[in-house]
This record gives sequence, structure tokens and C-alpha cells, in this order.
Amino acid sequence: MVEIALGTALAAIGAGVAIGFAGLGSGLGQGIAAAGSVGAVAEDNDMFARGIIFTALPETQAIYGFLIAILLLVFSGLLGGGKGLDVTSGLVAVGVGASIGFAGLGSGMGQGIAAASSVGAVVEDNDMFARGIIFTALPETQAIYGFLIAILLMVFGGILG
Amino acid sequence: MADELTTILTSLGIPNEAFLGIIVLVLLIVGAVVVVIVSRPVLDIYPYLLPNAKVRARKGRLFDEKQFSEIIETDDYKEITNYLRGFPDYAKHLDDHSIEKSLDIQLGETYELLSRIAPDDVKKVFATLSKKSDIANIKSLIVSIEANLSKNETKKLLIPVGSLYPLCEQLVDSNTVEDIVAGLDGTEYSVILEDALREYSEKGMILPLESALDKYFLENLLSASSVPSDDNTRILHSYIGSQVDVANLKVIIRSKVDDLKYDNISPHIISNGYQVKEWKLKDLMESENVTSIVSGLEGTDYSPILSEALGTYNEVGSVSVFEKALDEYLVNYANSLSLKNPLGIGPIIGYINKKEKEIKNLKIIIRAKRENNLGIDDIQEMLV
Repeated sequence: MVEIALGTALAAIGAGVAIGFAGLGSGLGQGIAAAGSVGAVAEDNDMFARGIIFTALPETQAIYGFLIAILLLVFSGLLGGGKGLDVTSGLVAVGVGASIGFAGLGSGMGQGIAAASSVGAVVEDNDMFARGIIFTALPETQAIYGFLIAILLMVFGGILG
Repeated sequence: MADELTTILTSLGIPNEAFLGIIVLVLLIVGAVVVVIVSRPVLDIYPYLLPNAKVRARKGRLFDEKQFSEIIETDDYKEITNYLRGFPDYAKHLDDHSIEKSLDIQLGETYELLSRIAPDDVKKVFATLSKKSDIANIKSLIVSIEANLSKNETKKLLIPVGSLYPLCEQLVDSNTVEDIVAGLDGTEYSVILEDALREYSEKGMILPLESALDKYFLENLLSASSVPSDDNTRILHSYIGSQVDVANLKVIIRSKVDDLKYDNISPHIISNGYQVKEWKLKDLMESENVTSIVSGLEGTDYSPILSEALGTYNEVGSVSVFEKALDEYLVNYANSLSLKNPLGIGPIIGYINKKEKEIKNLKIIIRAKRENNLGIDDIQEMLV
């Protein structure tokens, strides 16, 4: 069995939290947006492209979570065989995962709800497309905050660099 | 710090594996709590996503003010028929049916669509609403006996929508109202009509039969929405409830003008009102005149709109002023409800309200063009 340092094991938990919760938020959000889009496309075939755009928007949270998880895995030595992390850095890594994980969960769900509502507005009135995109993009900010803090934690917590 | 933490863990006798286990457990508990909290609103929203997208797409196809102006400016009703041929929802029926019947079919199909796509917690209400076409068909059968219409003429009156349509088509051959009621044996309308049949036989008027059907429909609608469990069902209940109140108030106001007593009209009243309960309706019927009825409604939503219509009523002397005010109240109220829960029942109420209004206004314009040849301003004043 491969020996893994406690800090590295904590970083693995952090990576799991990062992609797990961010993916959950993103998945729920995309499911909500897709359900709205399918209804719109069923009534109006021309809505397919716009439905796809709105449904794709909540994907970003999972991408942020995925990126952070990969960074944690690489810099904790789990991928690439580098030096393992000490316990303190491992705890920081859990914080890193929680930061993007929970921010991504809330952001993804919020974006999905806004996207479904926007699809409804666009199918009712084509002119609502640009405004719908703006409203749907707003809940992205929470995921960006989570992502930024995760990066800062990794830089100043001794994981990156 | 790592050393301090390791020292603490060692002094507490917690091995590294156990520490990891605690961290995982804590994260799992926090995660589970977060998931439960955030999934609750999603579970409320989810059943409405597909129906809402469908109704909003249809709402986008409803006529806007500019299109209504174009319809009003047409020369005659034939031009309106041609105009409607440009819209697939209406065009599909216009080749086979008259323009009015096409509108009725469209509305019937709208109710049926809603009963199919409505989420489970409100499905019963929309299933009841879709029975409007059945009731309209039974009324047409009864009216055709009264008006001595031929079988072909009667058949033309029937709306080919609803579960009862095939039976109604067979009942076209009936020669008396009694035959129609007997033919409806086994349906939910049979008992209702049998009760009203006695009054029909005594007075020779079909009003008791029509009124019994209307009352049965509204009572069913109210009871289908009577146990509000969340925001969506509460909003739907207030929408249905206000329709019941308006129907009751119309009967009360008209009866007061005709100088009737509560006992005369009680068979036509839906006892379990929404804002105006049965005891209040009895009180209102004991009022001296229509003005007292309006002041007796103080504290309800209907008071301001009826008070406003009172001035016009005193000038014109027709209760249709109140009826129009109440109809407009219903449209505005439904409109305000449609904005209350945009991710729930709101868009469905908004659509049904706007669709009913569109059909009603189209019928008004068609009638005005066909029978009265009224001017544009006069027609616009008649619209809801």
C-alpha cells in the first residue's frame, strides 16, 4: 500500500470537496436550466441554440472546482509524485476545497434557476435574450469569489509556490 | 504549527487515521446539511420548470395591443377570420368550423393542455377546469331543445373537445331535456341535472339547469384547490376563490335589482366563498339596494372597484357596469397573482388569464363587427 502523508490525505479531501460540491451545484443548476430549455424547445424549435447557451452557463462552477481539485492533487504530491504536504498545509487544502466547493454549489444552483427563468422570458419575448444572459451571469460572481479565495489560500498557505 | 497539532493529537491519543476520519465525518455532516437546505427550494421549483417554459412560449404567441388594434380596424368579421388564419393556433380549426367555434376549441384545448402538463399538486384544479368544455356542450344540448334547433344545428354548437364530447354527439338525437339527462346517466352531471329537472319542469325554464351546472363546476373547482399546502396552491386557491366570489356577487347584485330574496337565489349561490362567505352573502341580500350592497362589501377587495362603478351605475342604471368592473378586477387580480411566484404557479395563472381574456375580446370584436357594425372607439370600450 502506498504511504500517504497526513497533509496530503487532507489535501485529497480538499480536492474531493472542491469538485464534489461545485459539481453538485453545477449539476443541479444545469438540470434546472435544461428542464426549462426542453419545455421551451418543445414549443419553439428555434429556441434550441439559445436553450443550449443558457444550459451551458452553470457549467463553469464545475470547471472551477475541477481546476482547483487538479491543482491540489498536483501540488500535494498525489499526482506527479512531488513532495507531500505537512498537516498545516493539508488543513489549508481542506479550506481551499470548501471555498470553491460551497461557493460553486450556491452559485451553480442560483445560476440554474436564473437560466431557467431567462429561457422562459426569451421564449416569450426574443428581445429578452441579452438581458437574460446578464441576469443569468450575475450568480457567477459567487463562484469567482470562491475560486479567487481558493487560489489565494493555495498561494499564501504554502501549497502553490 | 504542524508539530503542535501532532503533539495535541498524540496527547489526546488520537491517531492520524482517526483525525482524518473526523475531518471526513465533519465535512460529510456539513455537506449533508447544506444539500438538504439548498435542495428544498429546488424541489419546489423543479415540477414547474417544464410547464412554465411551455406556457410562457404560448404566452409569447398571444396577441399584443398592436395586433388587437389591427383586428379592431378590420372591415368585417370575415377579415378577422383571414387575419386569424395567419396564426397556427387558430388557423388549424378555421377550415372546419365557424370563427366563434374555433375560438372555443382553442380555449378548450388550452384547458386540456394545462391539465396534462400541470404539476401533480395542482393537476386536480386544471383537470376540473378542463371540464368547462363538457359543461358548455351539455348546455348547448339543453339550449338546442329549448330553441327547437335541428340535429345539424345542434351538432354545430358542440365543441369537439373534452371527454364527454362523443356522448354529447350521440345525445344530439334527444328530443327532450329529460332524454338528455337520462343519456348522461353514469356521468357526474346526471345527479346534478336530475335535481334541477324538477324546477325546470315546474317553471319551464332552462335557467335552473344551466345554473346547476355552473354551480357544480365552480364548487368542484373550489374544492379541488381547497387545501393550500404551499405558496403555489395558496395562490391558485385565491385565484379560484376570487372567481367564485365574483360569480356570487354578480348573482347577488342582479337579484337585488330584480328584487329577489336570498331563498330564491340560494340554489345558484356557491356557499363556500373565498372573501365573501355565505353569511355575508345573506347579509348583502338583506341590503336595501345595490348601493347598500356595495357599502356592505367594505373591507373586501371588491369594495373599491364596485364603489368606483357605482357612479356609472347611477347614471346608466345597468348592472352590466358592475359585471364589467368585476370581470376587469378578475383579470387584474390574476395578473398580479401571476407575478407573485414566477418560478411556480405564476406563469400558468398569467397565461390562462391572458388566453381567456384574448378569446373573450376576440368574441366581443367579432360580435360587434357582425351584428352591430360598431365604431372602433365603441368596440375598444367594450373590451375587457
